Amino acid sequence: MPEQWLLDNVWLIPALPLVASAVTAALGPKVLRERSHLPCVLAACLAAVYSLFLLAASTKFVPGELSRFSWIEVGGFTAPISFRVDSLTSLLLVMVTFVGSLIVIYSIGYMRGDRGYWRFFAAVSLFLFSMTGLVLASNFLLIYVFWELVGLCSYLLIGFWYERPAAAAAAKKAFLVNRIGDLGFALGVLMVWVTFGTLDFDTVFAKADSHVPELTLICLLLFCGAVGKSAQFPLHVWLPDAMEGPTPVSALIHAATMVTAGVYMVARFSPLFLLAPAAQLTVATIGGTTALLAALIALTQTDLKRILAYSTVSQLGYMFLGLGCGSKAAVVAGIFHVFTHAFFKALLFLGAGSVKHAMGGVIDINKLGGLRKRMPITCWTFGCGAAALAGVPLLSGFWSKDAILVELAHAGDGGVRTMVYRVLLVAATITALLTAFYTFRAFFKVFWGDERVPHEAGDHAHESPPVMTWPLIVLSIFALGIGWILAAGFHGLNSFLGHSPGLAGSHAEHSTTIMVMSGVVALAGVGLAWWMYGRPSSLPETLAMRIRSAYELSRDKFRFDEIYNATVLRPTLMFSEISRVVDNWVVDGLVRLTAATPAFIGRNLLRPLQSGLIQFYALATMVLLTGLIVVSWLWE
Amino acid sequence: MLSNYLIVGAILFALGSVGFLTRRNMIVMFLSAEMMLQGVSLNLVAFSNAWGNCHGQVFTIYVLTVAAAEAAIALALVVALYRRRGSLDVSLWQDLREPDQPAIVDRPEESADVPAPQPAWPKLVPAGVEPERSKEEMEELEESTHA
Repeated sequence: MPEQWLLDNVWLIPALPLVASAVTAALGPKVLRERSHLPCVLAACLAAVYSLFLLAASTKFVPGELSRFSWIEVGGFTAPISFRVDSLTSLLLVMVTFVGSLIVIYSIGYMRGDRGYWRFFAAVSLFLFSMTGLVLASNFLLIYVFWELVGLCSYLLIGFWYERPAAAAAAKKAFLVNRIGDLGFALGVLMVWVTFGTLDFDTVFAKADSHVPELTLICLLLFCGAVGKSAQFPLHVWLPDAMEGPTPVSALIHAATMVTAGVYMVARFSPLFLLAPAAQLTVATIGGTTALLAALIALTQTDLKRILAYSTVSQLGYMFLGLGCGSKAAVVAGIFHVFTHAFFKALLFLGAGSVKHAMGGVIDINKLGGLRKRMPITCWTFGCGAAALAGVPLLSGFWSKDAILVELAHAGDGGVRTMVYRVLLVAATITALLTAFYTFRAFFKVFWGDERVPHEAGDHAHESPPVMTWPLIVLSIFALGIGWILAAGFHGLNSFLGHSPGLAGSHAEHSTTIMVMSGVVALAGVGLAWWMYGRPSSLPETLAMRIRSAYELSRDKFRFDEIYNATVLRPTLMFSEISRVVDNWVVDGLVRLTAATPAFIGRNLLRPLQSGLIQFYALATMVLLTGLIVVSWLWE
Repeated sequence: MLSNYLIVGAILFALGSVGFLTRRNMIVMFLSAEMMLQGVSLNLVAFSNAWGNCHGQVFTIYVLTVAAAEAAIALALVVALYRRRGSLDVSLWQDLREPDQPAIVDRPEESADVPAPQPAWPKLVPAGVEPERSKEEMEELEESTHA
């Protein structure tokens, strides 16, 4: 297919899911009913095929603005709806549409029989539209609009089962926490406008050199948005609660794609970030803190989806660690991890969904056990995902994690920064160990040991239907192999992403020591998990008793929710209560007084005048007329 | 003398307005209104005479014409109203007041402080006692018994 045609019609990628969403929303409840998935599946698959072609051709064309539709033009300010395609965009487009298609197909089985079947697919299509638009956007305003749109879709889908109070509350929490980050993002966009006088990516990147002092603030503000959307410390609290949504949503939005929007954004703006070392260091520090913190929390959780959620938070922290290293190759490493993570984390979530589907909604790993005989496909595909996440050598997670660790080891310029990066390297290594441990803790507890099936499962405690297992199998192949493809040459990825702005000429470091170390750490984590959970043992309980306070701290998620309740929520509620009283009695009081005064005067003074007595009227006329004449006479 | 005319006109107007405000008989009120008109007309004619042009007279002719038409309508209305209520009292027609306002009614006239006349009961003597009689009665009685 000619490249020019591909480029000219790139708007089709977001347009297809948008049309599907509109069609599903319009026809779903009455016409399509249990076939509501058709438009969405069709659109996602077509978009995926298109994206693959685009990826194949993407090194051949010059990055630049495409498919321009005018949108806002006020004075010197223009914000067109325009897309740009470069290697970074096409890589992420493939990730979003490909993983999206598989998850949508899986949802056909998972969501079957749900009352909101059409609503689900309409929202998922809308999400695919927003996410592809986000990746394709070519100016700051447009990316902000799509950024908010994916937030909206996330809200709609977390609260999909809105009858459940927990789901409604989780949706609200996600939305509100994201608002905090988005405020920073909006301010960052405004700062860009004030500083550069334009919002177009290419123009801003070209002018970046001449505005270095402002860049630190701009980058920090933009990073605020990423902290919210990608659930980084201290705004990470919404993501674990977001697991109230349907599992395919958790896989698509809260693991594979939307939460990596923050990572994409920082990578997209790397021409700016690379010029602001202080901002880079902040990104890396927050990423490292989050990675370690979330891994520690994940150690003691018992809800399978929550374990995966915390592992997502932790891995997102890893990606930011990579993006914060300050070198182009490190940004590439971060994107590499985004890409591999999308596949194995989607796989893990879909596996968890398969378990939940078969077990009648039970997902507590303490109530499950030995499912490998009943659900062999789920078990082995989940195992593939877990091994990839743990970073077992030669699987995808290993390559990308290793790339980040190597860049981290070479980061810094010899001063204090290097010290910080060294500390972060240690934290990242510990995180890698913990990741391997908690992932396989969940795996062994669910699929190994004596068979334990909760009574909620009833008689359908068996393998899921093919429409659900096939996506699992495809994803597990990718989880195993994608690392090979991309990393055999990581150098290849470097030169490929060199076609994106700010990433040209990146050079990957290499370190056998780090590679061996990360492999050993991953295997050690897996071994430790097997030693504690893979065989009958009372060790976990004894250990939990021995370090009781640490155990409880981790189980209570470091009490972040309680802290936020006491420091932010409670004062806000108090303030709002005061505002309510002031509004009711002072503001409304004034308004009511204004309204009551004429009514009072009318009722008590003016109404009795309307007596209907003709002579009274005549008298009033006469008296007033006389008064008027007298007054006008005196006036002169 | 212009002022003489004006004084008479003012007196007419004042009488008319006082009559209009104080009387409640519709026909009398109408007459009072006419009297006010005459006061004004007299003024106009006087000014016309004083300035030596006929503007005021033209006005007056107009006023007379309009007053004639008005009299026809007003009297027709008075007749119609009288047929409705059987009275010429204008205060009977208060229906255009605010709906929640009470109607204004006349206070009943203060009654003079005169004791009510006592009924004159016939005086009866107690039973079993011969009533006193006058001479003529006695003679009549005797004559009737002898006869």
